[in-house]
Amino acid sequence: MARGFKKRQGRYVAKLDAVERGLVVGLMEQVRELVQPAAVPDPEDGGDEFDRIVAGLGGVGMGVSLAADDQVPELTGGVPAPRDPALDRIFPTANRQDDQMAAEFRQLTEEGLRARKTRNLDTAISALGHLEDQKVSLDHDQAVALVVALTDVRLVLGERLGLRQDDDLDLIEEQVSSLAEDDPAVYALAVYDFLTWLQETLAHALLP
Amino acid sequence: MPSALSVTASVAPVEQESVAADAATEPDVPWITLVWNDPVNLMSYVTFVFQTYFGYSKAKAERLMMDVHTKGRAVVSTGARERMETDTEALQGYGLWATFQKDS
Repeated sequence: MARGFKKRQGRYVAKLDAVERGLVVGLMEQVRELVQPAAVPDPEDGGDEFDRIVAGLGGVGMGVSLAADDQVPELTGGVPAPRDPALDRIFPTANRQDDQMAAEFRQLTEEGLRARKTRNLDTAISALGHLEDQKVSLDHDQAVALVVALTDVRLVLGERLGLRQDDDLDLIEEQVSSLAEDDPAVYALAVYDFLTWLQETLAHALLP
Repeated sequence: MPSALSVTASVAPVEQESVAADAATEPDVPWITLVWNDPVNLMSYVTFVFQTYFGYSKAKAERLMMDVHTKGRAVVSTGARERMETDTEALQGYGLWATFQKDS
């Protein structure tokens, strides 16, 4: 049974069993695949790189896949977006009044933001990945890395679940309540709730 | 944004946010950084980011967070364009839905 984060003598301490840690680490690894700086695009076989990334995700994340290809298409039957909507959420349009300025901002910042998020996820993954027992004890920098990494994971998972407005979570919970317990949507929502709880405890512990 | 235990309905963005009081004392600062409400970021986390990144007091960070939550967005910093772009980039690094624009 997991125990949320508390600040103890300058460290951020929680209890997560191997399954829980594996779940969180697996999802952070998937988000790292999503956000890491793009390899130099090769128009001839651009698909191969993507296929390799998606193929590499098998079994990671305890059955919750964050890969864009694994998502059920929206029922509206709209034309597929040219860019993964989760990326648009993580790297949102930065100026809503001026498209040109927004494009320039993206060009100037996205690679740097991708590198920063990748490094941050590296830190969080290694902080949780090398534990011998259930006790998690993080220094301040590791705790900040994890609380930010949990945000990125929840942003991607929230996008995959269709969370666009504040009341969407209630709607989804209502829809899911009629599904069988082993339905992937039920599991994905439970994972989302677990991550929310974990992040909430860590954010509270970090508040100055 | 959701609180720890419950999620409340969002409010449509207001027409124009008034600039934060301490920013209003600086004349001719034509650019602003906005943070928009979203259903994922937690109230505690948003407060943490405002305190950590801007060094805002707990009271100011919480007031801005509540503005984001209840009004749909808040002006979190005001100044020169370059500075607002830096703030926007940093806040996006934290996963907040941040934008910059010319104040109007």
